[in-house]
Amino acid sequence: MGNTHEKQLNMKDIEINFFLNGKKITVAAPPSLTLLRLLRERLSLTGTKAGCERGECGSCTVLIDGEPVNSCLVLAPQVEGKKVETIEGLSREGGLHPLQEAFIEESAVQCGYCIPGMIMAARALLEKNKNPGREEIKRAISGNICRCTGYVKIIRAIEKAADKLR
Amino acid sequence: MEDFKYIGKRVPRIDARDKVTGRTKYSTDIYLEDMLWANVLRSEHAHAKILKIDVEKARGLAGVEAVLTHEDIPGHNGFGIIEPNWPVLCRDRVRYKGDAVALVAARDEKTAERALSLIEVEYETLPVVDTPEEALSPGAPQIHEKGNIMHTMELAKGNVGAGMSEAEVVAEETYSTQFMEHAYLETEGGVAVYDQEEGVITVWCGDQYAFRDQLQIARSLDWDPLKIRVIGSPTGGAFGGKDEISVQIHLALLAYRTGKPVRLHWSREESIVVGPKRHAMKTTFKIGAKKDGRLTAIDVDVVANTGAYDTIAAPVLNLALESSPGPYKYLHSHFKGMAVYTNNAMGGEFRGFGAPQVVFGLEQELDKLAERLGMDPVEFRLLNAVELGDISALGHELRTSVGIKDTLLAAARTDLWREKEEMKRKLEASSKYKKYGVGLASEWHAVGLGVGIPDFANVIVELGEGGKVTLRTGAIEIGQGNLTAYAQMLAEALECDIAQIEVIHGDTFLTPDSGTVTASRSVLINGNAILDAVRRLIPQLVRIAAGALNVAAAELEYGGSRVYSRSDPNLSLSLEEIAERALAGGEPLNAAGASIMSVSDKDFGEGLPHNYYTYITQIALVGVDTGTGEVEVVRVVSLPEMGKAINIAGVEGQCEGGVVMGEGYALFEEIKVEKGRFLNTGFTTYILPTALDVPEQQTLIVEKPEKTGPYGAKGVGEAPTVPITPAIANAIYDAVGIRFNTLPITPEKVIAALNKKNAGDRGVAADKSS
Repeated sequence: MGNTHEKQLNMKDIEINFFLNGKKITVAAPPSLTLLRLLRERLSLTGTKAGCERGECGSCTVLIDGEPVNSCLVLAPQVEGKKVETIEGLSREGGLHPLQEAFIEESAVQCGYCIPGMIMAARALLEKNKNPGREEIKRAISGNICRCTGYVKIIRAIEKAADKLR
Repeated sequence: MEDFKYIGKRVPRIDARDKVTGRTKYSTDIYLEDMLWANVLRSEHAHAKILKIDVEKARGLAGVEAVLTHEDIPGHNGFGIIEPNWPVLCRDRVRYKGDAVALVAARDEKTAERALSLIEVEYETLPVVDTPEEALSPGAPQIHEKGNIMHTMELAKGNVGAGMSEAEVVAEETYSTQFMEHAYLETEGGVAVYDQEEGVITVWCGDQYAFRDQLQIARSLDWDPLKIRVIGSPTGGAFGGKDEISVQIHLALLAYRTGKPVRLHWSREESIVVGPKRHAMKTTFKIGAKKDGRLTAIDVDVVANTGAYDTIAAPVLNLALESSPGPYKYLHSHFKGMAVYTNNAMGGEFRGFGAPQVVFGLEQELDKLAERLGMDPVEFRLLNAVELGDISALGHELRTSVGIKDTLLAAARTDLWREKEEMKRKLEASSKYKKYGVGLASEWHAVGLGVGIPDFANVIVELGEGGKVTLRTGAIEIGQGNLTAYAQMLAEALECDIAQIEVIHGDTFLTPDSGTVTASRSVLINGNAILDAVRRLIPQLVRIAAGALNVAAAELEYGGSRVYSRSDPNLSLSLEEIAERALAGGEPLNAAGASIMSVSDKDFGEGLPHNYYTYITQIALVGVDTGTGEVEVVRVVSLPEMGKAINIAGVEGQCEGGVVMGEGYALFEEIKVEKGRFLNTGFTTYILPTALDVPEQQTLIVEKPEKTGPYGAKGVGEAPTVPITPAIANAIYDAVGIRFNTLPITPEKVIAALNKKNAGDRGVAADKSS
């Protein structure tokens, strides 16, 4: 037991190359590190939140090649060569993304801890479906728990963002 | 009606931009250079003596910087908002699975975990006390020296026996409610740093009251509180669960002992096992009424499973008693409560504060009485509802705005209530196995801490360069939107642009003490303090303008964000110009404001009663699947009366979130603990409502401005979580004719009850055929 653990502790960093919010980057990280931890602890991107670290709450949702995933369940080397997008990538030209605007306008934010993951899940939906119905929106964010808002204004904000994007 | 620029409008939150871009730094988002990772060793047993703690091996592990036990606590080894008997680190006894036994700080997370596994603790197990019934039985193991009864409370008015004999109809039932988890998305966590030169320990930790945390840390570290800086805002959800100490003292101890920055962030499992929950309670109601529908008497008995330590359980039980009669008139009443120690989950503070447990029962009993009397549920409640100036069921005069009748009348006017039979028929026509029902429930929810409890707020308003207005408040932004409400009130009072306002919040070094962000109190108390500060700031603005314009101060007036001459309005100075003059003269322009909560004329002890209440009625339309037992909440209308709504979107947000939290309580959520062992410690087994589970919602705000509240506001944070649960239960009854007296109302319970009912309906023959 202890031996395995020692091995883990001494596990050598490996080099990982991927696209982060549109930029190609190379990082060295232990292969056991999750993408969530890589983003938060090694790349200072703390917009992606740790809510349970076992894939049950959706706070850590990021996009990998456009697909929403729980970054707490992805090991860093798995993103080799892939495109990773986080909340920080959404407003990188200074202006806000229509989803972000709509979340502000519709007062869809309370404590805000689930919001980056929620917005990323919604972005994945709107990239694929310009005209989502209410049920499709609900399904798309059903892996993202919000304890404050009751989802009402979040759903409305996503509908509004879809309008803006059309 | 006054014409406001910001009050009563739909104002976007001032913190939203940072939250949607991921820029907001919560305390768990702080990572510092050379930061150590901390971990807490929790008890292996729900109840045991500690015979020996051996930390030598852990201390010897490379990379470990500190391993601390009870021996390393310089001050009082305990915390607790009321009675500080919850050990920081246990010495000779553990009383539940969440008890902390040792602390570790190491250079990385894995080393900290490994160090924990090297700590050897020798226990001698003790029998586990699982329920209040066990705890109260003769010969039960005593959890504390004073015994197993943590707290009792009794209140009475009139003669409840006489009131019951006058009654022509009496309803009686016992209701049981479960432990409920707050499940804020950000689990408890933070970072601490010890500045050895200054002797200052800084703790970043999302909480609900930084100033109380400061004192609790100081008491355990035997440290000057003024040399402890707590930064408690913002936090990623709290709902009452972050009012008590979680990581703060552990962090401060480790930072002090190692001299390095330390980080501690509880896992979800740790958060569920350790943190206080909504108390499990058992409540027995006996309520009498005359044939004409008038209530005569209420007798309530509450027993709370409070877990191992006190935290704030006594006030929770007291508020359960105060909430239990609801906003109705009874001449005779009797309320009795008891909180009992067990080795189960910790009971504590949770949005609603004892009310959800009792209102779940009360509002079903009222529906039962109405049915027996052949009255409509709204008509029955209206007949008994209190008005301004009435004497409550507890015996105090209601002296602040009372809107319960307004919410009931507005509820009766909704399409959901008026057209309920038609809606149910339509829905049932389209589904073979589903039965639909509509139910309604009301509540009064106390605002503020209650008579005799220090209940105040201090704020500072500053005018700076460029006319920038800074508000300093000790209040914490826990998600409810209080900072935006404060900015609205300040902008309205100063007649300035809300964009000029910056709010500095929840930092014991940068803000004054504004009290705790609980009890739906923060808008009322901080709002009044803000208005007080503005009243004190304006004469200063006038004085500076008088000097600059060379006009007598008496000639000048403040308005429209300017000081101007009454005789010649062109002679004026803007806020920006006044700030410039003041800064040039080296004169700081600021004003402190303060506010103390008005209290009732009566004092029943321990904070009872309260002087302000939120009144609310909620209606639910549900579908019950008679094949699977699943209950779907289809539609909900909330009708809150909170005085004046400061931010319409904020009030809606509180209602929408409260409804879903109350829906979870009604249908899904239960922390299961057996013999002190936690059976569900994650969101795969503790089921929270997702976007797929929630109803369509409307919030119809009922305003009844309260003259002692800022712009007429009271508060709204908690009430919307409460009557929704019995509204759902009443709707289920309307759908299938079955009442449930335990929560949550799971498909298993529904199916069992439907089978029993069908068997009963069909008589003995049904048993043979099935």
